[in-house]
Amino acid sequence: MNIIEINNLSHRFADGTVGLENINLCISEGAFVVIAGPNGSGKTTLLKHLNGLLLPTKGVVRLSGVSVAKNLAWSRQMVGMVFQDADSQIVGETVSDDVAFGPENLCLDRDDVKRRVARALETVGLHHYKDQKPHLLSGGEKRRLAIAGILAMEPKVLVFDEPFSSLDYPGVKQILAQMISLHQAGHTILVAAHDLEKLIAHTDRLIIMQDGGIVRDGLPSQLLWELEAFGIREPCASRLGMKVHSWLN
Amino acid sequence: MAELNVLGFHAGSSVLHQLDVRFKLMFLVVISLSSLKAFVPSLSLLTLVLMVALIHAGLPLKMALKDLRYVFLLLLFMFIARSLSVPGSSVVEFKTVSVTREGLYEGAIVCWRLVIVIMTGLSFVLTTRSSEIKAAVEWMLKPFPSIPAKRIATMMSLIVRFIPIIFEQAKKTGDAQRARGVENRKNPVYRLKMFSIPLIRRIFERADKLVLAMEARCYSENRTDSLLSSGVRDWIALVGVVCLCLIIIL
Repeated sequence: MNIIEINNLSHRFADGTVGLENINLCISEGAFVVIAGPNGSGKTTLLKHLNGLLLPTKGVVRLSGVSVAKNLAWSRQMVGMVFQDADSQIVGETVSDDVAFGPENLCLDRDDVKRRVARALETVGLHHYKDQKPHLLSGGEKRRLAIAGILAMEPKVLVFDEPFSSLDYPGVKQILAQMISLHQAGHTILVAAHDLEKLIAHTDRLIIMQDGGIVRDGLPSQLLWELEAFGIREPCASRLGMKVHSWLN
Repeated sequence: MAELNVLGFHAGSSVLHQLDVRFKLMFLVVISLSSLKAFVPSLSLLTLVLMVALIHAGLPLKMALKDLRYVFLLLLFMFIARSLSVPGSSVVEFKTVSVTREGLYEGAIVCWRLVIVIMTGLSFVLTTRSSEIKAAVEWMLKPFPSIPAKRIATMMSLIVRFIPIIFEQAKKTGDAQRARGVENRKNPVYRLKMFSIPLIRRIFERADKLVLAMEARCYSENRTDSLLSSGVRDWIALVGVVCLCLIIIL
């Protein structure tokens, strides 16, 4: 069953720049999809249409058959988005306040908010830091906090925009392990990335974007040799003719 | 690791943390107004009480002094201006300018009163979440139907939330400019221009990102607000603060 359906989606920015051009895409429930492409290819613009942060100039985006534009609040609850800059996503004064921000916006009662906060912090392993100031966390912890913030809203789809940018090796491993465990828990995962090295071993679909359009869509193993033609670095192991292994091994 | 900014909420379990935010807002107003009538003995008492409260609330004193260094600079200017402008018996004279004994005393008193207001504000901000401030402001504006209480409360809580971010951006801008040798330029107007333009741009960019992040998490004026509940502790604190203010005024 398709959880995301995008039909003839185009987006033009206020200055006339083309952001997206005639995108048609279906994502099935429980999939782990990577959207790859160089800077400016339209990855982030596409992701922002999934929860209505941007609305289409033309076309329609549907979540479980419901138009995003017609039900923004519900769409934002359904699709949790982790931004590229984790710092800008932090809105609370303590770790638990930040996680509570989403459930409070859903007007849940206080006990329900507390329950969701505790569960989300437990899931990402940050429960020991609940009274800590978010700005004092490390890069990997901040990104896990951002994940906890959206998990507390109980979304079905999790969208990650360049989740590994400016993270050290342990940070990358923490986030990757988190994404895999969330996928195993039944979430649909979409990741926008320009560096596939860390992700490719775990994904079941690769979409390549260029100049606001989708130019390739298929199994990662079948598209690896075409990556460099679209300005995406081929994973090291693949360049050496070897099988690409997980970063977690 | 980011540096801790003193102008924001610090989680804790002190008495101030546990007080009802409506009472704390009232204390903030009453103590600030009373301090305007205070002189040396009562200012000393107020300073002592507030210092104990701030340390008990977990204020990192050294960091607070560092973060507030520009405020102290402003106070110094005010002190100098007062000591030169108030007429009285001269202590030091240079050509037509003279520093008077009355000016020195009045300058010190005015600066001290402002320090009290700053300390009171700091103890409030340090121990109160912006969501609690929002709930309290909304509660206080409820009797006035013509005032959009929710909107005003939201704006106030966002301003409080945004102050540490502005300081953080100012620090980043300053660091970036020092790394490129801005200290070699002696012209203060040039330095101010080169500092303020990128800072304002950064603040607006950061505000845009914050708005986007808040929208992505369904932010609206109607949300689960903090619970406001007062108890015996708040009323005892109220009696204490009223007594303190009476001692100051009388």
